[in-house]
Amino acid sequence: MNKKSACVLGSALAAIGFASALQAQNKPIDIVTVVKITGISWFNRMEVGVKEFAAANPGVTTRQIGPAQSDAAQQQRLVEDLVAKKVDAIAVVSMDPPTLEPVLKRALDRGIKVVTHEADNQKNTLVDIEAFDNTAYGARLNDRLAACMGETGKWSSLVGSLGSQSQVQWADGGASNAAKKYPKMTLVDAKNESANDAEKAYAKAKEILRKHPDIKGFQGSSSLDVLGIGRAVEEAGLQGKVCVYGTGLPSEAAKFLESGAVGGIAFWDPKDAGLAMNKAAMMLVQGKKITDGMDLGIPGYNKVSVKKGPGVGVIVTGQAWVEVDKKNYKQYAF
Amino acid sequence: MKLKISDPQLLFLLVINLAILLVATVFSRGDFLDLYNFQSMASQLPELGLLAIGVALAMISGNGGIDLSGIGLANLAGVVAAATMPLLVAAPDAAPWTYTLGFIAVALVTGLVGGALNGWLISRGNLTPILCTLGTQMIFTGLAVVLTNGSSLRISVVDPISAIGNESVLGVPIPFIIFVALLLAVGWLMRYSLFGIKLYLLGTNARAARYAGISQNRLRFATYTLSGVLASVAGVIIAARTASVKADYGNSYLLIAILIAVMAGIRPQGGYGRMVCLFFSALALQLLSSTFNLLEISNFFRDCAWGLLLLCFLASARVSWRDFFPNSKAQLRKS
Repeated sequence: MNKKSACVLGSALAAIGFASALQAQNKPIDIVTVVKITGISWFNRMEVGVKEFAAANPGVTTRQIGPAQSDAAQQQRLVEDLVAKKVDAIAVVSMDPPTLEPVLKRALDRGIKVVTHEADNQKNTLVDIEAFDNTAYGARLNDRLAACMGETGKWSSLVGSLGSQSQVQWADGGASNAAKKYPKMTLVDAKNESANDAEKAYAKAKEILRKHPDIKGFQGSSSLDVLGIGRAVEEAGLQGKVCVYGTGLPSEAAKFLESGAVGGIAFWDPKDAGLAMNKAAMMLVQGKKITDGMDLGIPGYNKVSVKKGPGVGVIVTGQAWVEVDKKNYKQYAF
Repeated sequence: MKLKISDPQLLFLLVINLAILLVATVFSRGDFLDLYNFQSMASQLPELGLLAIGVALAMISGNGGIDLSGIGLANLAGVVAAATMPLLVAAPDAAPWTYTLGFIAVALVTGLVGGALNGWLISRGNLTPILCTLGTQMIFTGLAVVLTNGSSLRISVVDPISAIGNESVLGVPIPFIIFVALLLAVGWLMRYSLFGIKLYLLGTNARAARYAGISQNRLRFATYTLSGVLASVAGVIIAARTASVKADYGNSYLLIAILIAVMAGIRPQGGYGRMVCLFFSALALQLLSSTFNLLEISNFFRDCAWGLLLLCFLASARVSWRDFFPNSKAQLRKS
């Protein structure tokens, strides 16, 4: 190595030493939300909530990050770097909960507060936020369907696949609700599989309409179910005669909501989930506890239920479903 | 290892590493220079580094050599080990060492078989490496999906296997020690053993190598097999670090591993490449990636920056830096 490069090396090292002396002090509470992937409308909507939380809470800085590719490895690396940075709290929407266990354990060991969302099997988390109880959500959808049907007549249900646990719980929740509350409603051909495909849902719905010409209602589960059913109902000219309710996204279902082929949809708002995660994270940093029946001050999380999770933490469940119909779907741009 | 600073590629890599370190430290107000941060980076590096060694070896062997199946085989090795060990060891908690050693053995054998399949297809079947390994990559990933149904599989977290991924010796993370040890071993193999000398010759000029009496087939077979074994070591580290195995874990690693190899100055046409450069190339990417995370820069921009870095390296290889840095006074006086 010649003198010149030695000199450059030396000054570089000196600069590094100088910079490290400039330590920042009196930091605000730093909460970072890690999502599965950036750039899709679902998580863009969540980011609105994450930013809103910081704006409403002085002394708290929040931000949302996520991998550019859908890859559990990239998400794991992001969390790893956050642990190294020693932020105050990490709120993560796990792409794959088991993959993140060791790194979240390291986070907890380092005194970082960990909050998760949609991961009720995550062990190394202090609080897991679930938008709602699946059975209650299904029952609520069924109530709306019943109101539309005049609490009488035949109805059927669709699920994306029988292997999808949450969707089956929604459909079953609806069925048991109807059996309990609406004796005049008859469930026919329950839980048809649509394979998470609007085309298959359409074919299935047409088949059911042929088989039961007097059918009065459908309850969909996958967000694509209502699209297929809506199309079949529209083609048969049965708008207003057959009620269609189910999980759906406002942007996708807009057409059928306008035409009246789909009466209403429900979903959970990622913005509120973002707010709830950050709220829980802030409370953990401040040393507060979330208790059963508590009001987090966020729509749908006004009376949360708290139960023990599979690991060290708790699972906090809200009633954060959002119900929209033709009148108000435009408020939700995703 | 003796560093030859006269190597322009190595010098450039060192400067880049130092520059990133400097920028990161200044912008993070010193937060970057945290021991834990370095440990964290050192434990993130090996998965990718090991895959990059495999790619580099394949590239050096020439004839358009490349190994695209690395991450697929790494995941398959982990999945096969995770799926078979519960059958062999009923109570992992009672026999943690048996479980761990068994896990490693099954994974390595899987890597050996997978690598040998690549080697056999390329040397005997005369398939183009890029197409062959693209095919086997799909086979490996597909097999792993079939074995796990696509979801992740938790492994039994017993102490020894967890330590491989998460513990440190004298402050140095164990994955990093494994990576450096293997890097040094491969570096030694390439530089001093007959295998390495023959491989460089084969990559430089396949015809001359044949006239020199070198068996191309055997050499290529050995190269891809070695690459497969290295991938399976990456698989063990991934499994240990995430306490689980998943068919499509790290699906973005494939191109990054190639990026590391190319940035290290491994010649894609074959015949040249140094392991010490590979180390600093991998280090530069890791430093850059962690810096971006620390400075809260978008991940989309990171991909863009990596592309830029790659182009810089390719350009730098074409420029003679000595023209810009006259290091003798005689030259200065002349101008």
